[in-house]
Amino acid sequence: MKRTVIKVAGESGMGLLSVGNIVSKALKGMGFYVVSDREYPSLIKGGHSNLQIDFSAEPLHSLSKSVDFVIALDRPGLVEYMNIVKPGGVLIHGFERHQSIPNLETRAKERGIHMIYLPARTLAYSLGGTELMANMVLLGLLWRLLGFDLKPLETGIEKQFANKPKLLTIDLQCVRVGFSAQEGNGGFVGACHGAPTQTPDTILVNGNQAITLGAIQAGVRAYYAYPMSPASSILTYMAEYARETGLLVKQAEDEITAAQMAVGSMFMGTRALVATSGGGYDLMTETVSLAGMIETPLVIVIAQRPGPATGLPTWSAQADLNLAIHSGHGEFARVVIGVSDPASCYELIQHAMNYADEFQTAVIVLTEKTICEMQTTVPPFEEGKIPIKRGLLVTDPKELETLKASDRFKITENGLSKRWIPGSGKTWFYGNGDEHKEDGVLTEEGAEVSAMIAKRMKKMETIEKALPEPTIHGVKKGAAISFVGWGSSKNAVLDAIQNCKEKGITVNYLHFDYLWPFKTATLTQFFRDNQNVHLIEGNYQGQLGNLIEALPNLRFKGRLLQWNGRPFCMEDVTDYISRHS
Amino acid sequence: MSCPNNQSSYLRELAAKKKDFMAYESTEVMTWCSGCGDYGIQKALERALVLEGIKPHETLLCFDIGCNGNGADKINGYTLHGLHGRVVSVAAGACLANPKIKVIAEGGDGGTFSEGINHLVHSVRSNYPMVFILHNNENYGLTIGQASALTRKGQAMNGTPDGVVLQPMNTCQFVLGLNPTFVARGFSSDVKHMTEIIRAGLRHKGFAFIEIMQLCPTFNKVTSAKWFWDRVRYTDQQKNYDPTNLKRAREASEDLEKEIMLGVLYQDKSRPSFPELFESRKGITTSLSEEVRPYSIKELIKNLK
Repeated sequence: MKRTVIKVAGESGMGLLSVGNIVSKALKGMGFYVVSDREYPSLIKGGHSNLQIDFSAEPLHSLSKSVDFVIALDRPGLVEYMNIVKPGGVLIHGFERHQSIPNLETRAKERGIHMIYLPARTLAYSLGGTELMANMVLLGLLWRLLGFDLKPLETGIEKQFANKPKLLTIDLQCVRVGFSAQEGNGGFVGACHGAPTQTPDTILVNGNQAITLGAIQAGVRAYYAYPMSPASSILTYMAEYARETGLLVKQAEDEITAAQMAVGSMFMGTRALVATSGGGYDLMTETVSLAGMIETPLVIVIAQRPGPATGLPTWSAQADLNLAIHSGHGEFARVVIGVSDPASCYELIQHAMNYADEFQTAVIVLTEKTICEMQTTVPPFEEGKIPIKRGLLVTDPKELETLKASDRFKITENGLSKRWIPGSGKTWFYGNGDEHKEDGVLTEEGAEVSAMIAKRMKKMETIEKALPEPTIHGVKKGAAISFVGWGSSKNAVLDAIQNCKEKGITVNYLHFDYLWPFKTATLTQFFRDNQNVHLIEGNYQGQLGNLIEALPNLRFKGRLLQWNGRPFCMEDVTDYISRHS
Repeated sequence: MSCPNNQSSYLRELAAKKKDFMAYESTEVMTWCSGCGDYGIQKALERALVLEGIKPHETLLCFDIGCNGNGADKINGYTLHGLHGRVVSVAAGACLANPKIKVIAEGGDGGTFSEGINHLVHSVRSNYPMVFILHNNENYGLTIGQASALTRKGQAMNGTPDGVVLQPMNTCQFVLGLNPTFVARGFSSDVKHMTEIIRAGLRHKGFAFIEIMQLCPTFNKVTSAKWFWDRVRYTDQQKNYDPTNLKRAREASEDLEKEIMLGVLYQDKSRPSFPELFESRKGITTSLSEEVRPYSIKELIKNLK
């Protein structure tokens, strides 16, 4: 599979995001599949950032470390990114005093990199633009090197700046100047990327948008949140879509409130959603415990970033699995789900809402910074694929009349009892956070307490039976090397499977969407069918791996772990494979 | 009774609705101490609900943790007994989901003015359509008598045997400083007066903050019933008391030692309640609870194409 990789490096605030949007949309319009993500520090302006776009005529899932083109918007971009351009690649920059940087030319020559300088800032100024428009000049040059027509790029720019007509004119001129610059191609002879044979129907979407859209499709009517990276953009998208959908979006005074408001709204029968990151979730855990006790649905998204404490606010991690499984005091059943890409965000959030209603407890959805923000071209989301399921919620007026208060927390075989909305029927019940009997009346009698705790814990078995098994990607058995993982690891492994296939190495991968209660049947079979099974996880301990190795006779041959804030790239996996197969 | 209002019409009205009143009466055994102010507050709440024509299944009563919360299953009706300090937030979520059901939250001075004070502040600001009843017995009763932020200075408590060294907060002054829309104060021994202010709170369309000065004969020996009866005054007996005058309300609420003013201290009927402020909810007459169905995303993904 041919893949071309572009990286734009500069200070936060230099317009990396708009370049990313324009390029991604232009490529998408030309029929390419695109994956794009950015790395940035927790600052608004200043501090070094980069944005990467990988594109291909075939579907791709993750970013590659092998960079073909770098646009350096500032000095650090020029100095630091020299090392990541692959031999034969191109480094475009507009840093006037580049000759003052020691050994720059020599380093480029040694590494076989084509370095092209364009006085981008001066050119932008001469067109009446600002220094921020240097990016457009350099982008124009890049476009020429890619061997593309200017038209799709111009269309992209027109879309991006549609409501800023004055800027748009200058931006277009800047791009044209860059495109037709006299500076030449620095010896670069032409990019080699397959041309798309058709333009697939795709949308360019990130995980947080997908979660928002999935929630709306699932009938979520209220969104409560307190801003925290990398979950904050869900608040932005929810608010953006509120007017069309009638959603109630409330930024609460803290995470505790957001969770409490959600459980209060769910108790009253609507569907509410909450999203936060690990630190905010810590504050919500008492509410998760309450949802377990009063058997009320609650769905919380944890957008993971590395901790502990404030950790790395704008980087990625898979380190809150233990938190999601073990949070909240006391023993109660819950569901933990891990999303991996926009499509799974869109679908799994709908299932999460359904499971919360069906099992009347908390559902925790784990996402990661890289999933939240990575823009991917995917087929347009379908509607009506996942019907709304509300479990034992009683809404039929006749049935409501027959209810007894003790139906609410009735001790049943599968742990599930009827639920109805306060006000919907004349039979009231007590939603009691204290231990209680079937009608919610407090009890401290040993036998009654035992029976009620056991009733709620029975749901673990009921949920485990209802959850789908993990999915095998690639061959079912006999792979040269196998991986087991969850979350965004899937994307890097999928690309590695394809990459290794081209090299004649069979790789397969067992992916867990549903992480708790833990499914073991397919897993155990996977270990039987494959002899060289490894763990891939974005944390130090191998949290999923430890769950698996706690089972009898399941031992990994090795663990590919990473906890530096970076998501796995395809090469992280392919390099590991070349060492272990 | 220092409140000289004629009781007869109130009792007649109640007697006519005896059946409705009995619908709220639970057969569960009460666990409050003898002489606890919670009995009076519960009766006043039941009477207010009955007199306002609200049936047990038409309201959601939310309880915080503490002595008052132990009454969560001692009154008939839908109840939600949540977590310490959080009752205002869980009740806010409930009332936003379905404003057609009257949501009433009750909490003590410990949970409300220590652990949950941020929730109170922002609920007052947000003007959620709900009633909040503060049970102010000036201590943490259920954890056996520790000082709260409302315990009087110098009082020896569990954990502060040499006496509380800090000044107590003045609840109504604090809330009046937040630009509220409804602030009232009652006394747990004056059931009729409490009934009146709770009724006014139930009729208020935004966030109704009602403080009840509550007796705690077990842990609070200083402010006894006599102590209160000697000091309580009523706004409706003041000359020209104007509950729409915020400055006047702040003055009236200030004294907690000599003359303690009871009544609806302040009300602003003009301000919209929280759900009315939402651009996204304009013109929608259904409640969020009635709206759970799939919503089309086709239009929303158009600009992602």
